[in-house]
Amino acid sequence: MIEKRSPLASIVSYLFLFLVAVFNIVPLFYMVVGSFKTESEHAASPFAMPNALQWENYSRAWEVANMGTYFMNSLIVTFGSLIVTVFLGSLAAFFLARFKFKLRGFTYAVFLLGMLVPIHATLIPIFMIMKNLSLLDTYASLILPYTAFHLSLTIFILEGFMRGLPKDLEESAVMDGAGIYRIFWSIILPITRPAMATVLILNFIYNWNEYLFALVLISKEAIKTLPLGIASFVGIETASLTLQMSALTIALIPIIIFYLLLQKQLVNGMTAGAVKG
Amino acid sequence: MHTLKRTKLAIFLGLLPSLIIYIGIAVVPIGLSLYYSLFNWDGITDKVFIGFDNFTKIFGDDIFWLSVKNNVIIMLTGLVGQIPLGLAIALLLNRSLKGASFFRTVSFLPVVISSVMVSLIWGMIYNTEYGFLNGFLGLIGLESWQRNWLGDPSWSMISLSVAYIWQNFGLYMIIFLAALQNIPAEVNEAAELDGSTGLHRVFRITVPMIRSTILVAVIYSISNSFRVFDLVQILTGGGPAHQTEVMTVYMYNAAFLSRQFGFGSAVSILILLFSLIVVSLVNKVGREKDA
Repeated sequence: MIEKRSPLASIVSYLFLFLVAVFNIVPLFYMVVGSFKTESEHAASPFAMPNALQWENYSRAWEVANMGTYFMNSLIVTFGSLIVTVFLGSLAAFFLARFKFKLRGFTYAVFLLGMLVPIHATLIPIFMIMKNLSLLDTYASLILPYTAFHLSLTIFILEGFMRGLPKDLEESAVMDGAGIYRIFWSIILPITRPAMATVLILNFIYNWNEYLFALVLISKEAIKTLPLGIASFVGIETASLTLQMSALTIALIPIIIFYLLLQKQLVNGMTAGAVKG
Repeated sequence: MHTLKRTKLAIFLGLLPSLIIYIGIAVVPIGLSLYYSLFNWDGITDKVFIGFDNFTKIFGDDIFWLSVKNNVIIMLTGLVGQIPLGLAIALLLNRSLKGASFFRTVSFLPVVISSVMVSLIWGMIYNTEYGFLNGFLGLIGLESWQRNWLGDPSWSMISLSVAYIWQNFGLYMIIFLAALQNIPAEVNEAAELDGSTGLHRVFRITVPMIRSTILVAVIYSISNSFRVFDLVQILTGGGPAHQTEVMTVYMYNAAFLSRQFGFGSAVSILILLFSLIVVSLVNKVGREKDA
């Protein structure tokens, strides 16, 4: 839609958008600049630019904050849950979308219900379950709930996509005598790639950022994920703000790169996730 | 299509693992929460059945009602802060505007950052001695405006709300933008022929066209507001003196700091109930207007 606007309206629009952009960028910019200062520079004036870039803040933050461990744990937990969720979810979606059976509608409805459940209502029982299974302070204690809570959305998106595929897709394969799982693996799954991308990105970002389950289920330093680890680091390392800023910047960089690279898919996925969830 | 007997087994085996994990970890615990809520229990020693005493105790606790009030504030922040801001930006970006993709990218950026990071970053902004905000006020000669933004009870909820808006408005912007781009071109052409322009057209034609999307956004925003935890827990921990406590933090503190598992479970059931009630009310009102 192209429309002529008065110059005044344009200026006001730009001014507004510009202010919003400043509002969004300044906190991040402030943190990145601060991360390059010495402690005394920052204390003297939070606004001044650093005299020299203190790269050693970064190496120190990496060491002191155990960033390597946290990154590793986050990768394991995020990808562990992501693989289990997408594999099980696509299998379930396949049967729900391409077959007729008695409890199909009911099963589907049960899965969808999960999108309404706030995780807080399950937190205490999940803690007890993990405790009784002796799973506290293990990767599994996070992978299981992450999977359970994201199966709903995963199945919802994949089922919708698979249902829309033409009906005769499997027929020739059935004629050739291919088994059901073979049809799933070599016919349906490859075509589902676009929806799969959405689901993978959504699961990645939700798992990578999750905090509450980690807070409750993990207390060992060696198993902490990035959000949990960095929150406790900042809570402990209150003496050095610049060190905190370096640690935060280290944690922020991968997600910003990920965002800039996959912006379109990420935005579409998260919008779908919000609207459907 | 698939009529073989073996397919039944295949279907069963295909759905079983998902169902076990999902029901075992997302569904059964809701029932367990309800069950635990009837007991006095520290999670270690034997449970003592006390009926609805936990609920009576919760309803008699001023701090609980304070946390409910704060949840309402967070909810209103979403409704009058995030959604209108998101809508305004979406409307501006829905035109051929130079730099639109830059503004879109920047607006959405905070949405992908974990709420932990958002909270820690805002903690530095609000830091009394070395924070950005007080530093900035000092720089422009407004020392008298400097505050302990998170520690001053009359400002702490406002400070939290600003961070909450920052974190989420981009999501609504994108949702609205997607809806606006789906409005058929004929609608705008017709409006043009009728001589409807500017703000008049925006409020009379464009906004009503995306009514259902706005309703979805409102419902999402409300249900989200009941789930706020990370931001409050990290920025203020519910303090000063419970002034910023929300229901989820109240529940977390009861269960995992005071070891009152039964009491905490009762709170979690109330969170679930409140959010279901408000969301279904809004849904009902919204749909009635549609008819």
